[in-house]
Amino acid sequence: MSKAILTDITKCIGCLECVAACKKTHNLESDVPRVWQKNDGLSSENWTSIIRKPDDHYIRKQCRHCIEPSCVSVCPVGALHKTEIGAVVYDADKCLGCRYCMMACPYGIPRYEWDKAVPHVEKCILCYDRIIKGEQPACTDACPQKATIFGERSELLKIAHTRIKENPGKYIDKVWGEHEVGGTSVLYLSDINLDFLSYPVNLGDKPLPEKTATAMESVPFAFVGMGGVMLGLNWIIRRRMNLSKESNEKESPDE
Amino acid sequence: MNRVRIAKLILWLITGFAAAVALNRFIFGLGVTTNLNDATPWGLWIGFDVMGGVALAAGGFVLTAIVYIMKRDEFHPLVKPAVLTAFLGYLAVIFSLLVDLGLPWNIWHMIIYWNPHSPLFEVGWCVMLYTGVLMLEFSPVPLEKFSRYAKFRNFLMKYRFVFVMLGIMLSTLHQSSLGSLFLIMPFKLFPLWYSNILPVQFFISAVALGLMMVAFESLASHWLYKRKPESNLVAKLCKTTIWVLGVYFIVKLVDLIAQDKFGLILNGSWQSNLFISEIMISVIIPVIMFSIPKLRNHTAVQWIGSFMVVFGMMLNRIDVGGLVMLGNTGDSYTPLLTEIMISLGIISIAALVFLFAIENFNIWELQPKEPDSLPHTLPEFDYSSRTWLGTPEVSGITRHTLAFIISFAVGMALIPGKQLQSGGIDNVKVNRASGIDSLYINGNRDDQFVNFPHQAHIARIGKENCTTCHHLNLPGEKLSECWQCHSSMYSNVDFFQHDWHASTNGAGLKCNDCHKQGINRSIESAKKCTGCHKTYNFTANQKNDNTRYYTLSYTDALHNLCVSCHLKKAKESADKPYLARCSTCHKSELPENLTAGINWKISLPHFNSVILPDVKPVIMKTE
Repeated sequence: MSKAILTDITKCIGCLECVAACKKTHNLESDVPRVWQKNDGLSSENWTSIIRKPDDHYIRKQCRHCIEPSCVSVCPVGALHKTEIGAVVYDADKCLGCRYCMMACPYGIPRYEWDKAVPHVEKCILCYDRIIKGEQPACTDACPQKATIFGERSELLKIAHTRIKENPGKYIDKVWGEHEVGGTSVLYLSDINLDFLSYPVNLGDKPLPEKTATAMESVPFAFVGMGGVMLGLNWIIRRRMNLSKESNEKESPDE
Repeated sequence: MNRVRIAKLILWLITGFAAAVALNRFIFGLGVTTNLNDATPWGLWIGFDVMGGVALAAGGFVLTAIVYIMKRDEFHPLVKPAVLTAFLGYLAVIFSLLVDLGLPWNIWHMIIYWNPHSPLFEVGWCVMLYTGVLMLEFSPVPLEKFSRYAKFRNFLMKYRFVFVMLGIMLSTLHQSSLGSLFLIMPFKLFPLWYSNILPVQFFISAVALGLMMVAFESLASHWLYKRKPESNLVAKLCKTTIWVLGVYFIVKLVDLIAQDKFGLILNGSWQSNLFISEIMISVIIPVIMFSIPKLRNHTAVQWIGSFMVVFGMMLNRIDVGGLVMLGNTGDSYTPLLTEIMISLGIISIAALVFLFAIENFNIWELQPKEPDSLPHTLPEFDYSSRTWLGTPEVSGITRHTLAFIISFAVGMALIPGKQLQSGGIDNVKVNRASGIDSLYINGNRDDQFVNFPHQAHIARIGKENCTTCHHLNLPGEKLSECWQCHSSMYSNVDFFQHDWHASTNGAGLKCNDCHKQGINRSIESAKKCTGCHKTYNFTANQKNDNTRYYTLSYTDALHNLCVSCHLKKAKESADKPYLARCSTCHKSELPENLTAGINWKISLPHFNSVILPDVKPVIMKTE
C-alpha cells in the first residue's frame, strides 16, 4: 500500500495550478525570492514548483518520497519519518534544527525557514492528511491536464510503462524514480533528460542509507574492541614493568 | 603590559564582538546573519567549530591513553593541560552547536527521541557522555582547593582508570562517526575526500591532530607566561606523531589507489590543488621536519610543525565539512564576518577559561601568578602637590569589562542593519513596461513576462475610469505609471523623497514649509502630502496620515490590482473560468518582435519563484 505520484512532463502546460493548490492547502504564505533560495523555485513557502526548460517543457519539482529516504535515516531525533502509505512527513515538535536532512537529500528538497527566529524544515508531505482521509493530494487534484496523477505505486509504474510502449518515440524509455536510490514514490515520464533534478552525479540504484549502515553497525564492535585493545595493552605493559622490576630486584643484591 | 595581559585584552575584545553577533543571530534568525542557504545548510560553524573542535580536543583521550594505559609516565606533565583543553574543546563544540542549531532549546531531544541509524545521533550521545567523563577526569584538579570535597575527589581519583577507559572508547566512536556523517553524501563530496573508510581516516587523523594540539598548546602557553618550553616532551610527541601521520598517509594512499581515484590528484582542478596542499601541510612537510632529530629538538621547528599539522587537519575537516561540496552544489558560500566572529568568540572564551584555570589551579608544576592580582600600592595622583606619581593602572576586571562592553557596542554598530531588516530580500529595481496597445510587463527581467492588453482594458472599463489603476498621478503628470512609485520588485519602499523636496534643485522647500517651528521635526509632526498635492489619491492600506508613505512592492501592487478584479470577473461570468489563473497572465517566452535587438538580462535567482497574490482589494474608489 505504497501511494505515489506520476508526472508526465509531455502533458504539463506549466499553468501552476498545482503550486497554487499546494499553497492553499498547506496555508503557505506568499513568497518572494530570498538570497538563500536555490533557483528551482522551491522554498519554505513553495513545496512544489515548476521548472521551465526550453521548448515548452515544464517540470514539476517536489519531494520524491524515496522508498528508503536519506533524510529519515540521518535525522538524529526521528523528526522525519516514512509513513505506511509512503509519504515522508515531518514532526516539527521533535526537530532540533541541525539541517542534516538538507545535507543528506540527494535531490536537495528540504528547505529551511532561514528568516525565522524559530525556524523549521519545510517540504512536500504528499498531503498525508488528505490521503488518510481518502482524498488525493491537492496538486494532482488540481491538475487540469491530468499531467500529474496519484495512485498506487505499482499501478502507476504499469501505466508509465504502457504509455512508453504505446507511444514509441514520444518518451525516453525510462521511468525516473523507478530504481534510483532504491526507488522513489514520485515518478516522472519525460521526453527530455531529467537528471538535473538531482546532483550532477550518478546516484546509483542502491538506497543511500546503506552507505552509513555498515559504519553504524560496527559502532558497538568499535566500542568494545577499543576497550579490549586498551585493556590488553595495559595488561601487557604492566606485566612487562613488573617483570623488569622483579628482575631488577633479583639483580640488585648481586651488585 | 606583559603578554598575558595583551592576550587577555584581545580575547575579551573578540568575545564582546561575538556576543553582539550572537544576540543578533538569535533575534533575526540564521538567514540574514549568516551566508548559509538552501544549497549550503552547513557552513563554517559545523565545518570549523564542530568538526574541527572535536578533532582538536582529541589530545585529551590520546594523552590519557599514553600515560594511564601505556604507562609512559614521562608525559604526565602534559596530561592535565590536555584534559583541560579537551574539556573546554567539547564545551566549545556544544556552545557552537547551540548557535548553529535552528532550535537549540531542543538539543536535549536526542536523549528521548532515538534514531540509532543516524551518525549524528551517535555523535551527539558520545559528545554528551564524553563531556561528562571529561568533567569527572578534570574535576580532581579544581577540587584540590576545597577540602570539603576531599572524599569525592578521592573517589574520582580511585576510579580514574575507569574514566580514562570510557573516555578512550567514547572518543573512538565519535571521532570516527564524524566521518560517517558524510558517508551518505557521495553525490556532494568530491571523490578525493569521499571514501568508504572515512570514519577510519577521521579517527587516525584525530589522533595526530590531538597529539600536535597538545604540543602546540604547551608551546603557546609557555611562551605566553615566559616559561621555558617543554622541548624534550614536545620532541617526543613529534616523534610519535610521525608514526600516526605515516599510517594516515598510507591508509589514504592505498584507499585512493584501490578506488582508482589517484588520477584525480593531478587533474589540476581547484579541488585537486586543495587536496595536494592539504596533504603537504598536514602530513608530508611535518613528517620530513620531525624525522630529522636535530630539527625535531628545535623549538622553532616544533612551533611550525605542530601548527602545520593542526592547521592541515583542521583544513581537512573544513574540506569534508562543506568546502569541497561546493563543486557539486553549485553554490558559492563564503562565511560572513558574523559567522567568523562567532567562531573566534567561542575560541576566545575557551582560551580565557584555560588561562583562568592555569592561573588558579594546580595544572602546571609551578603555578603562574595572575598578572592583575598584584596590588597597586602607590596612589596615582597626589592632590596636595598636584603631581602624577605613576601611570594610572586599572584592575583586570575593570579593563576586561570595558573591553567587552566597548567591543560589544562596536559589534552592534558594525552589523549592517539594512541587511538584518531586509529579511533576505534583494532590492530589485523595477523596469518599465514596454509596448503601446499591448504592454509587456517584465518588471525584474526574468523572462516571466505578463502580456497586458492595455487598449482592451480601457475599452472594457471605460475611458473615464483611468483612475482605477492610475490611482495617483505625480505632479505635472496625467497618468503616472506603476513602476514610478512601486519601484521595488519585492519590498515595500518609502515613496516620499525628502531630499528632493528640500533641495534647491528640487522642490526648494524650507524646513518650516512642512515642519512646524518649535516642534521636533519628525514624519509624524510634518505636513501631510495631501496638504500640497491635493489630487493625490492614496490606497486604503497606505494610511493617508503622517506615517511613512510606503508603497507596496511591484508584485504585490499589481497582483492586488489585477487579480482581485480577475477573480471577481471569473466568478461573475461562467465563460471565463481561467481568468484568475496564473498562466492567463504569466507567459514564459517573449514574442520575437519584442525581443529583437534587446539583450534581456535573465536574473536567475528569481527565475522560478512563484509569488502568489495576497488577494485583498486595496484600490480606493475615486470620487
